[in-house]
Amino acid sequence: MNSFTELSDKLIESTIEIFTGMVMMDISSAGEPVEKTGTFKKSITGMVGLAGTHKGILAVHLPNEVALAVTSNFLGVDVGEINEDVQDAIGEIANMLGGNLKTILSDRGRDIQLSLPSTIFGDEYAFSSQAESDQIILPFQSPNGMFYVEVELER
Amino acid sequence: MAKNVLLVDDSSTMRKIISRSLRQAGLDFGEIYEAGDGLEALALLESESVDIVLSDINMPNMNGIEFLREKANRPAIKDIPVFMISTETGDDIIGEAKSLGAIGALKKPFTPEKVNEVLGPLI
Repeated sequence: MNSFTELSDKLIESTIEIFTGMVMMDISSAGEPVEKTGTFKKSITGMVGLAGTHKGILAVHLPNEVALAVTSNFLGVDVGEINEDVQDAIGEIANMLGGNLKTILSDRGRDIQLSLPSTIFGDEYAFSSQAESDQIILPFQSPNGMFYVEVELER
Repeated sequence: MAKNVLLVDDSSTMRKIISRSLRQAGLDFGEIYEAGDGLEALALLESESVDIVLSDINMPNMNGIEFLREKANRPAIKDIPVFMISTETGDDIIGEAKSLGAIGALKKPFTPEKVNEVLGPLI
């Protein structure tokens, strides 16, 4: 991987592929990367860690309305509250994005290990970055609102 | 005769999506069994009649590679074919899976069309 610009382009491509191909939801890149996401309100974050030659984290931050729509599309049934199905679905989105990020960073796949996905959610929370990491936060527009894909990689 | 399929993935959402993709792909299969990790998969293979396994790699308790290794040591189930469906599709990992008996791999994310193309001939 030569640059964060190239990484951003590939992550945008991966995110759109996952949402259109598996979630069956049309989304689009919503402009330039943002510097901070601030505090999340009534949201859910799915994340996977990377270890090995590249250390860091990939996270996908979705407001509850977007997460519920994603899960409803995924499962083919209406989901009305943040429950285990929503946590599982958003964790799986993070897992697929993490897998794609791993492929972007390492073609052969043995030098980077992915953690199992995890989620956090609540009425209000912050997601803070490590001091010595490079960070990309990509905004996306879905029919149900904006969401963000964030990557932090240790320098 | 329709084949019985075992889906192995720690994500219940992903198991539902794979199951739905099999149906949308119009494939003729029998029972669909589900397991959340390699340990559950081994137990199901020992107790049910399964013709093909579709397995994730990155799972808790027993991952897909460990599952393949353990299954290869059990004579009663070692010949049941396993196809990997995972975000982990690096050459090294898939090479290791194939060396342990996996017959192929499909990368997540996938579409029903891709499922049909790749799994149709097997199911």
